[in-house]
Amino acid sequence: MNFIKNRSLKQLLWIGIGSIVMFFAGLTSAYVVRKAEGNWVEFLFPDWFLFSTITIVISSIILILAKRNIKREKKVFNFLIVVLLLGVCFSFFQFKGWQDLTNQGVFLTGEGSNVSGSFLYVITLAHLVHLIGGLVAILITAINSKMGKYTSKDFLGFELTSIYWHFLGLLWIYLFFFLKFF
Amino acid sequence: MINILIALVVLLVIAALVQITRVSELLAEIKNKDVNQVTDDDNKTQGVLFLFIGFGFLVFVVWQMIEWNHLLLPGAASVHGEKIDVLMKFTMTLILVVFFIVTPMLFYFAYKYRGKQSNTAYFLSHNNKLEVIWTVIPTIVLTGVIIFGLKTWDETMNVDTSDANVIEVYSEQFKWTARSSGADNKLGTSNFKLVTAKNALGIDMQDQNSLDDQLLREVHLVVDKPVLLKFRSRDVIHSAFLPHFRVQMNCVPGLLTQFAFTPTKTTKQMKKEEGEDFEYTLLCNKICGAAHYNMQMSFIVETQEEYDAWIASKQTLSQKLLTQK
Amino acid sequence: MSDHHKETFITKYIFSQDHKMIAKQFLITGMMMAVLGMIMSAVFRVQLANPGESSMLYNLLPGSWVNELGALNPDKYLALVTMHGTILVFWVLTAGLSGTFANFLIPLQIGARDMASGFLNMLSYWFFFIATIVLVSSIYVQGGPASGGWTIYPPLSALPQAIPGSGTGMTLWLVSITLFVVGSLLGGLNYIVTILNLRTKGMSMKRLPLTVWALLVTAILGVLSFPVLLSCGLLLIFDRSFGTSFYLSDIIVGGEMLHNMGGSPVLFEHLFWFLGHPEVYIILLPALGIISEVIAVNSRKPIFGYKAMVVSILVIGFLSFIVWGHHMFMTGMNPFLGSVFTFTTLLIAIPSAVKVFNYLATLWRANIRFTPAMLFAIAGVSAFITGGLTGLILGDSALDINVHDTYFVVGHFHIVMGLSAIYGMLAGVYHWFPKMYGKMMNKNLGYLHFWGTFICAYGVFFPMHFLGLAGLPRRYYTNSAFPMFDGLTDINSIITFFALSGAIVQVIFLFNFFYSIFKGTKASQNPWKSNTLEWTTPIERIHGNWPGDLPTVHRWAYDYSKPGAQEDYILQTEPLKEGEEEH
Repeated sequence: MNFIKNRSLKQLLWIGIGSIVMFFAGLTSAYVVRKAEGNWVEFLFPDWFLFSTITIVISSIILILAKRNIKREKKVFNFLIVVLLLGVCFSFFQFKGWQDLTNQGVFLTGEGSNVSGSFLYVITLAHLVHLIGGLVAILITAINSKMGKYTSKDFLGFELTSIYWHFLGLLWIYLFFFLKFF
Repeated sequence: MINILIALVVLLVIAALVQITRVSELLAEIKNKDVNQVTDDDNKTQGVLFLFIGFGFLVFVVWQMIEWNHLLLPGAASVHGEKIDVLMKFTMTLILVVFFIVTPMLFYFAYKYRGKQSNTAYFLSHNNKLEVIWTVIPTIVLTGVIIFGLKTWDETMNVDTSDANVIEVYSEQFKWTARSSGADNKLGTSNFKLVTAKNALGIDMQDQNSLDDQLLREVHLVVDKPVLLKFRSRDVIHSAFLPHFRVQMNCVPGLLTQFAFTPTKTTKQMKKEEGEDFEYTLLCNKICGAAHYNMQMSFIVETQEEYDAWIASKQTLSQKLLTQK
Repeated sequence: MSDHHKETFITKYIFSQDHKMIAKQFLITGMMMAVLGMIMSAVFRVQLANPGESSMLYNLLPGSWVNELGALNPDKYLALVTMHGTILVFWVLTAGLSGTFANFLIPLQIGARDMASGFLNMLSYWFFFIATIVLVSSIYVQGGPASGGWTIYPPLSALPQAIPGSGTGMTLWLVSITLFVVGSLLGGLNYIVTILNLRTKGMSMKRLPLTVWALLVTAILGVLSFPVLLSCGLLLIFDRSFGTSFYLSDIIVGGEMLHNMGGSPVLFEHLFWFLGHPEVYIILLPALGIISEVIAVNSRKPIFGYKAMVVSILVIGFLSFIVWGHHMFMTGMNPFLGSVFTFTTLLIAIPSAVKVFNYLATLWRANIRFTPAMLFAIAGVSAFITGGLTGLILGDSALDINVHDTYFVVGHFHIVMGLSAIYGMLAGVYHWFPKMYGKMMNKNLGYLHFWGTFICAYGVFFPMHFLGLAGLPRRYYTNSAFPMFDGLTDINSIITFFALSGAIVQVIFLFNFFYSIFKGTKASQNPWKSNTLEWTTPIERIHGNWPGDLPTVHRWAYDYSKPGAQEDYILQTEPLKEGEEEH
């Protein structure tokens, strides 16, 4: 019974991830279509976004290490806190990236703005909003792990959180390469 | 006051219905009948009703077709429109044939196979041969429809516009303005940033091509001469719908759209055929605000001579500028 | 999986996690919204029959919607049309149809205790409920509710200067639809995972009732297409409230030159219709699934061509993603693109035709029992034929030139959605009412409701084809502004007559429904003598559905009138006899 429950909850998450992918597919398709129409201002892609990419990749690696620990009945609370902090770092770098853009004169809206900038802001903002959900999940998982909720045989909550977190990382990598090179 | 009375009446009606229904169910209980059991009699009644009302529906459809046929749009008054009409007749005939075969079958089956306790249904779960037949036949028919449709679409959309008279149709809440491209048949460029009270269409007067353009409150077309309508919008999406010509094209702010066609019947001719009240009509066909239903501009089709006489009386923009100074 | 928590009033009726209760919550909310949407249509039909005149019916509207002479304001006509469309497409035919029947039937028909996540399921209803509150409240804001058509194209929907409803009303519309979509997604996730994982022993995919197949494909369509509506809406929110130019460019409105440059309303249309088209199949497929079930049970015969029906559902689901451009033929798109969409759109006619022929073959040599549900199911097939055929004209780009956005379209989509899908929904209510409430609905009132509805509905919508072929555009406050439409006044009056009559006939249904919940005759466990698993549960409905073990399934759902059987039905739980072959 538990096996079916675990499998069901994981599938629920995967399909939810599918929906989120479609959401970003809609946004990136709109980007592609709009760019093809011209009147598209190019600008320097902030380096901060490279830092945030590295940060989120590292956080996923830490999470993978944490999973190994759980399977060996070792503690994971510290790992999860590191992931949380890296997530906060990621958010900080996103903000710095936006600041970099405004310094360049690339704005979301208003006089002198171009839709190329608007898309960048909206897409990265949308990702960040989903990431904040991920931060909440990490925090809850960290607390649960401290309270001894997970065993080496059953750590469903941890698994769900890490699937989602890895997804956020992969999504960001896709968005990063898309926005930088397309 | 009247609202309270209405509410009271409604409540009383509901109360009455409740009692009637309850009584009918109790009566059935007394007779030891299940009032909600579907009996052979019920099946007979409903089956017969399907036959009569179902066929009544088909009679209703035929009645509508006969009664209202004269209200439909007259035959197309453009070259591509005539082709569209042929496609329409073909497709309409096809769907009417299918409709008048399949729908009666449905109602007839409902009647013929109305149930009886003593009957047994025929247990047949599938027949692959039938599935193939009724997949392949629609596929073949639809392939024909698609080919015919795409051919007509291509002939409508990909026309040679090199000889066409260029006219701009500008849409806004809630009116149309037209602009002829003048003797050079080239429209002057425009930009919404140039719009002022005196230059409502934002025409760039620095462009040489603008000088001979003319602003028009109605559009005149020469019969049998191709025309290229170019559409712009000032505010929201509108759509220029000229049903008699089988012409429709969205007018989108920030976008240039166009439609080329050749009118084949003068207004005078149409008045002879359809009655003195006939006018070619331009309708806005995309929801655009409160007065969406009332955006008016006349379209007149006439001979070359009539057109020349008419356009000669229209001021060009350069003339307008001079008089404004 | 069985949460044997103690039930309080709150957890049983309000924040229930039981799929059966959640289904009923969706149903009741959907029905109330249907009444609201129907009243709106009665109001604007009165305006169309008596343009510019006052009417007692307008007393139902907020005072500012009528002018000093008591006539309906033109922009409020558009508000009514917009809200009618929004409510009926999303609230009634999506939430009211899928929300009700997916929730109710899936666990019961596959042999599960409940959905994979009762919690997410409960959330899905409450998101829907709050979305409803937000939408209804938008009716009463100062500028009125959204008025740009349910398709809310910008710039009209982005600019309050263009129409008052595009102010606060439109903002609330967007908030409401976002909540609605989140709720829908939460539901859809559950439906898919439950069907894939929680089928009882012996319930292979090949033994699933067609209803479940239809609901599965519908849910997949939903999780893939609704998020794109969110992307679409997000960009619109930014254009409206943050001055971006995704959809807006080159606009002068209300005397003001707007700063937006470079946006394209056509981009909105692509994103919108990417959801918009699958949406109509999200509406239609569950209805067809219900119709399949009701026809089979009441024909006492297997549904003809089960495999072909499943394949048709899958093909329709797949094709529904690549036809959206047929809503945009007249946007000035590249003609080649138009050709592609014509091709794919006309292809969808093939699996649709296959379904119709299979329904006919099911009725052939059947032993039909005319329950009210069966009447609606058969009428649903009729409407699917009628409405589907006119789709061949609309899907052909060259023909669409003269019928796009005319009443021909209005006739077409009302017949496929307003008739076929609603009939499917009503058939479902009549058919599963005994399972939902343990009571029987009154049969004679059902017959009366059916014939009244059948006659009035075709009376309203068939004439619209003629209005369209006469060139009459949709969303017109009145036809009296153009002499070319003077001859159409009679048709408009006829339509309004049938519309008002049809609306009154629905009172019979509402009465029957609510009366029967409280005072209806008690139902037996399996009043329709149906094979599917839901009829093996006790009449009183318990949490966890079956009192003991979950049932085991030995056969498909359609062994009706099987030769050699004692009765004309065999429950799916009935093991095969010696030498009996499974179908």
